[in-house]
Amino acid sequence: MNGLKLIELKEVSKSFGNNSILGDVNLTIEEGDILGIIGRSGSGKTTLLNLVAGFLEPSEGEVLHHFKAAHGPESLHQNLHRIKDLIGYAPQHNSFYPKLTVLENLLHFGQLYKLPKETILNNIKGLLEATDLLSHQNKLAEHLSGGMQKRLDIACSLVHKPKILVLDEPTADLDPMLQKEIMNFLMQVNKQGVTLVIASHHLALLERACNKIAIVHTGRVHSQGHIDEIRKSYSKDNFTLSLSPGDNKERLISILKTLPIDRIIDKDHLLVVHPKNITKTVTGLLTAIQEENLYLHDLDIRHPSLDEIFEIITSREK
Amino acid sequence: MKSIWLLIKKNLRLLVRSKTSALVIFFAPLLIMLLLGLSYDTSSSYGLNIGVYAPAFSEDVESLITSLQEQEFKIIKYETTVDDCVEDIKAGYVHTCLSIPESLQVEDNQQKEVTFYVDPSKINLVWMIQENLGSKFNLKSQEISQGLTSGILTSVADAKTQLSEESTELNGVKEKSSAASASALSVSQQLGALDLNLPASTYNPQALTTIKSSLSLEVENSLVEVDDAREAVEAANITNDAQILNSLNDIETKLEKVDALLSGAVVSATNSTNTSSNSTASESLSSILTLLEQDLTATQNKLTAASQAVISSSSSLSSASQAMQESVGALDNVQQGLGQIKTTLESQKVTDANVISSPLITRIEPVAPESTYLNYLFPALLVLVVMFSSLLLGTTLVMMEKNSPAFFRNYFLPLRKGTFVISTFFTTLLITLVQVVIILGVSMVFLKESIFYMLPVAGVLLLSSSVFSFMGMGIGYAFKSEETGTLASISTGSLLLFVSGVVLPIESISPLVRKITALNPFVISESIIREVFLFNADISAVWVEVASLIGYAVGLFAIILVVEYLVHKHFISGFMKHRHLKHRQQEKRDKNNV
Repeated sequence: MNGLKLIELKEVSKSFGNNSILGDVNLTIEEGDILGIIGRSGSGKTTLLNLVAGFLEPSEGEVLHHFKAAHGPESLHQNLHRIKDLIGYAPQHNSFYPKLTVLENLLHFGQLYKLPKETILNNIKGLLEATDLLSHQNKLAEHLSGGMQKRLDIACSLVHKPKILVLDEPTADLDPMLQKEIMNFLMQVNKQGVTLVIASHHLALLERACNKIAIVHTGRVHSQGHIDEIRKSYSKDNFTLSLSPGDNKERLISILKTLPIDRIIDKDHLLVVHPKNITKTVTGLLTAIQEENLYLHDLDIRHPSLDEIFEIITSREK
Repeated sequence: MKSIWLLIKKNLRLLVRSKTSALVIFFAPLLIMLLLGLSYDTSSSYGLNIGVYAPAFSEDVESLITSLQEQEFKIIKYETTVDDCVEDIKAGYVHTCLSIPESLQVEDNQQKEVTFYVDPSKINLVWMIQENLGSKFNLKSQEISQGLTSGILTSVADAKTQLSEESTELNGVKEKSSAASASALSVSQQLGALDLNLPASTYNPQALTTIKSSLSLEVENSLVEVDDAREAVEAANITNDAQILNSLNDIETKLEKVDALLSGAVVSATNSTNTSSNSTASESLSSILTLLEQDLTATQNKLTAASQAVISSSSSLSSASQAMQESVGALDNVQQGLGQIKTTLESQKVTDANVISSPLITRIEPVAPESTYLNYLFPALLVLVVMFSSLLLGTTLVMMEKNSPAFFRNYFLPLRKGTFVISTFFTTLLITLVQVVIILGVSMVFLKESIFYMLPVAGVLLLSSSVFSFMGMGIGYAFKSEETGTLASISTGSLLLFVSGVVLPIESISPLVRKITALNPFVISESIIREVFLFNADISAVWVEVASLIGYAVGLFAIILVVEYLVHKHFISGFMKHRHLKHRQQEKRDKNNV
């Protein structure tokens, strides 16, 4: 992750007719990033991806690419024909020929990138191994399982070894095991130097895989950057007290109220505490429990999840 | 019932909201009706170009041409040779050639033949030409036949009148002949009644011999006396009237002597008989004379009666002769009249019933070598196969690509948009090439044609295939679903076929639409292949048509590129809109569920 800019969106807006989809988007994608784009359905994620991939032209603002360092930043859409071999795109729905075999699909798309056949064959071999499709290479694509099809689709996007791979909902309609499998595969791809831009609903998976995220909501990018920074800016750490029937719940609440906290959420057997200062609060609580000889079944300190951050952002907008 | 109505409403909504489907469903029938209305609202006009060749454009030929022009046939005259006209049929400039004799007047027992030169490969057109021109010629034939029959009837009527006159004449002859016959009969009877037998009397020959001898002697004496008298006359030197008188007197004397001698001879003869000792002889002479007298009397009477009879007969025969002469005159007239009738009848040269009933006959002469119908239909069949396969292939390939999941990925391939169009085109062309090779290969076996003719045919077919492929591709880009696209391709092909002259002759449709259909690539392709395949024309002879097809292909390719570009943009926008809307709806549903 050397921080070299690959694609930059400056004050980008996109609308279809009178229907504004995105507005005032500023986003930078750097080499080696795994950028997760999260947002509700219809929030503009796919439009943002299409702008990043050069598939759409912005209505306002500009999408610049920095692939050709010698030329400086250039309009991505207008120069797309020159940099298509540097971009890979895996749309939400599989984009390959179902009536061709795995190998035929990879060969077809690979050869159209006008790479030497040997390079293509090497790329394909590596991809088949990485996607675990080697033993299925002669199967028709339509006969593959959902997970295999998704892997084939991603492989098709990678066959020409792009610098950046844009993925729209790569784990949609897959079971949790396959979702994890796909994300692992993508992380491997990233390790090979491919910058990833992933739009997904599965925030937990993104949280695990991405180093950066951009939160899109109602056509705006509300937050973007490293995931820890966002986490800090949007939510503080909290802790949960798990209570058993014999625990003195009321006493614990009264002790907590003497400590620096923002709020306590009472969920019967759980007390979710949002402290102002987690260290002071937890230390004070534990000291009080010890002094009063109280019983506590479990105490779980946790960082806020991406899901929670997203919920905070979206609830604010409401 | 309600559910059915709801389903109907849904179907209608879907149809209306799919713009192309709505267009096809609602406007296609109207368009077809409009086209058909325009095409076949021809009343009696036909767009047939008819070449007419005649050794000389006589009044008859011109009259026929005028009658053809009245039916709005376009007439092109060929004055040198019919071959020029035949060549123009092959080139498609004229639809049929008529070889008409200089004169349509039938003068002997030979029917006049009008030859139709037609292109047998245009079966419908041949049928139409036969139908239309045949009726025109039948009319002309009927007209001539009527003239011939009228001529014959006039001759017969004239002959009848003349025969009537001759009949009257013959009646006169008959009467005169009857009268002559009666006269002759009367003469015959009169002459039959005449007794011209000689009296049956017999005379004594001895007595007659004696008398003869006596008379002979006296006559000799008389002759001597006559000689003397002549000598006396000769001897007298008559110088004056007195001498003449003397001489005449002397001669008279001498002649008196002769007379006396002769009288004496008679007396002598009589005496000699009288003095005969035989009394029977004496009697015989007397009786002879008596008998002779009687006989002479009787004979005189008979001759008198005969004379009268002859006079009477002569009169009768004279009148009979006159009657006969008149009859001969009348018969001469009759003969003359019959001669005239004969001449009149002989002047009618057309006597053959077949020629009179059908003075004009038509003959169909195919301009292409005699062959099976398969040969004639072959060009149309080839183009038909190529047209439908190319149209459908073009549409299907574009639809397959458009509806393929990989369509989206293709956008990111470093390829020009034209590359996809060209690849689709060449795919179609390749498949068509295989089809053409198979079809022509099989045809070579069935039609026994050499590969020499098949190669240019294959070339033209590929050119046609290019045009139809681009048309099919255009349809593919214009329609959303594969079903409607296929339907549109089939409809387009059917329309092109319908106005190609294969189903119905183009020449029978209205001039305006005919002009438009002349631009039909099906028609152009078929025309080229017909000329190459049936008439063995060189490609250079059809370069205009070939250039038209190339023009079509290039033009359509350009249009396809533009369409592809526009549709691609449209597709992206549509894709995004659709997706956005779908997500919004999903979001609403999620909210409602919460």
